Amino acid sequence: MKILVCIKEVYDSPETLVFDESAGRVTFGPHTVFRMNRYDEYALEEALRIRERLSSAVVDAISVGSPRVSRIIRRALEMGANHGIHVQTPGETCLSAFERAHLIASAARGRGYDLVLAGVMAEDDMESQVGPLLAAVLEYGCATGVIFEEISADGGRVAVEREVEGGSRECLTLALPCVLTIQSGINTPRYPALSHVLRARSSELECIEASGLAAPPPTQGLVRILPPAQGRQGEVIEGAAVEKADKLIRILREHSLLPR
Amino acid sequence: MNGRFFIIALHEGGRVREETWRLVSFARRCGVADPVMMVLSDEGAIEQLADELAHRTGLDVAGLAGSHLREYSAEAYIRTLVPFFRDAPEEAHIVTAHTSRGIDFAPQLSAGIDACCITAVEDVGQGTFIRSVHHGRFRAEVRADRPRVVLTVLPEAFAPDDVAPGNPGKVRIVPAGDISLSTCSRGARAPVHANMGLTRAEVIVSAGRGLGSGENIRLVTMLSSLFPKSALGATRAVCDQGWLDYSHQIGSTGNTVSPRLYLACGISGAIQHLAGMRDSGMIVAVNTDPCAAIFRVAHYGIVEDLTTFIPLLVDRYLRGE
Ligand SMILES: Cc1cc2nc3c(=O)[nH]c(=O)nc-3n(C[C@H](O)[C@H](O)[C@H](O)COP(=O)(O)OP(=O)(O)OC[C@H]3O[C@@H](n4cnc5c(N)ncnc54)[C@H](O)[C@@H]3O)c2cc1C
Ligand SMILES: Nc1ncnc2c1ncn2[C@@H]1O[C@H](COP(=O)(O)O)[C@@H](O)[C@H]1O
Repeated sequence: MKILVCIKEVYDSPETLVFDESAGRVTFGPHTVFRMNRYDEYALEEALRIRERLSSAVVDAISVGSPRVSRIIRRALEMGANHGIHVQTPGETCLSAFERAHLIASAARGRGYDLVLAGVMAEDDMESQVGPLLAAVLEYGCATGVIFEEISADGGRVAVEREVEGGSRECLTLALPCVLTIQSGINTPRYPALSHVLRARSSELECIEASGLAAPPPTQGLVRILPPAQGRQGEVIEGAAVEKADKLIRILREHSLLPR
Repeated sequence: MNGRFFIIALHEGGRVREETWRLVSFARRCGVADPVMMVLSDEGAIEQLADELAHRTGLDVAGLAGSHLREYSAEAYIRTLVPFFRDAPEEAHIVTAHTSRGIDFAPQLSAGIDACCITAVEDVGQGTFIRSVHHGRFRAEVRADRPRVVLTVLPEAFAPDDVAPGNPGKVRIVPAGDISLSTCSRGARAPVHANMGLTRAEVIVSAGRGLGSGENIRLVTMLSSLFPKSALGATRAVCDQGWLDYSHQIGSTGNTVSPRLYLACGISGAIQHLAGMRDSGMIVAVNTDPCAAIFRVAHYGIVEDLTTFIPLLVDRYLRGE
């Protein structure tokens, strides 16, 4: 069984972003820290658990992005992935989900993956598109929001439960090969073991230039980044911490929410 | 918007889901008064669903029917919709709700008909679409570069369309053939984590990842004990960490609540969380980040570190301030 896990690099905290309103652009500030998208950690962990169940399985991790994303691929090797693939784009190119899915598909095609796991969404832009688009391009089946999976003994099918509104689950069985997008909480991602950390240090990543892969012209373009919509004009309680506490207590009492 | 405008209704248990009426408002926001309503189901249920749509909206309805559509699966939807739209005029907007199902089939549908796909759309610009990015801190204005556009629309961004139509729309049932699927649906399972205590509570003190550690749950417990009819809520992030169990989770895949007071501590305000608590009577948010999205739904905002502010708040109250 060959498993591919798609991993995306995200920034750790949106507070470090810099917004240039006149240019309609957001850039990373000097203190931005990057890490693996959390949903992808769950996807990678699930792949590693499948490998533990089916001893002959191998797990590859792939990421599309600037030279910096090699760090999260290495992190995937530290967690236990067998092989890392880096589809490298020059600098901070901002690619649409469509372009990213096509690049991953081009790199994956012909390698005979039985199962592709992705996160249910990227924490930063929350598009939830790359997994299902990749499935469509590869002509694989797909289930999104997967919170449980079990591969049949013959390796031909996978039973999954998708999480839907209110926490209900839709149960279905898919034929392999297929793409599953993994929901958080399906497992508890592991910390890297020392032996894997040491192995990862000496492993070579496979680096593919994105410009050398076939991809159709983009379907959409980013016009600009706008400030957030005006929400409720709530009151920001000002003052020293003690004053804020006292004001809040007063407000809650006035609304009979706190006993006097 | 140029070309045709199709709304794919979502349904469950033989009834059209509420989000669908909001998509009609979205169409109007796009300047489209006569979108075509579409619904997919098996022969046994299609007419009732199509009639419900035609009566409620006054719009024309295309019902696609086939035995493979008895239960929902992305594969069943895609294999029915792709041939339908390949035959439809090229310039088209195809809209569905940004729900677990909408987002399950929409991207694959777009790939099958060489369309552009934009998800979680919450507003429209000049021929462009607007969605939140960067944890809801900013919005992106996106332009479609294909004549066909598939959109998933955030239901809560639009009110249900309540125009009572004079006459019901025309219903056309289109047999979609019988397609044999490789996906096999095995029904649904009820949520494992309903929490009655949360829906009855007058006050919910809710914890987010900003708590920093499971140990700090004692802070929200302490705060919640000041209120007589209170309960502890949490974001999915808190439950995923195992700091509280999933019965406390509030949001689209957890509990939906509307207490008199919702006290959000260390919660960023992701749309999936807001979906479960935005109708609360009064929302108070404590967060170190003044730009956190939660402050845009809060009635009162406090920019403080909860690890020092909650003990201070409890202390000031107990001292009778
Ligand atoms: C399909 C799907 C369904 C989902 N369903 C749900 C759901 O039902 N419910 C849900 O909650 N989520 C749900 N999510 C997850 C959701 O998208 C967010 O990831 C989640 O709500 C974030 O939780 P959070 O606010 O606790 O964490 P974060 O987004 O990490 O926010 C933490 C906040 O704490 C603040 N903070 C940090 N330190 C402090 C401090 N010391 N004092 C005060 N503030 C501090 C930070 O500024 C930040 O704003 C779902 C996601 C998907 C993909
Ligand atoms: N640049 C990327 N490289 C590898 N995988 C990605 C990339 N972008 C998105 N993905 C995968 O697709 C999932 C959903 O991302 P998105 O569609 O951007 O919300 C992520 O959780 C990843 O598994």
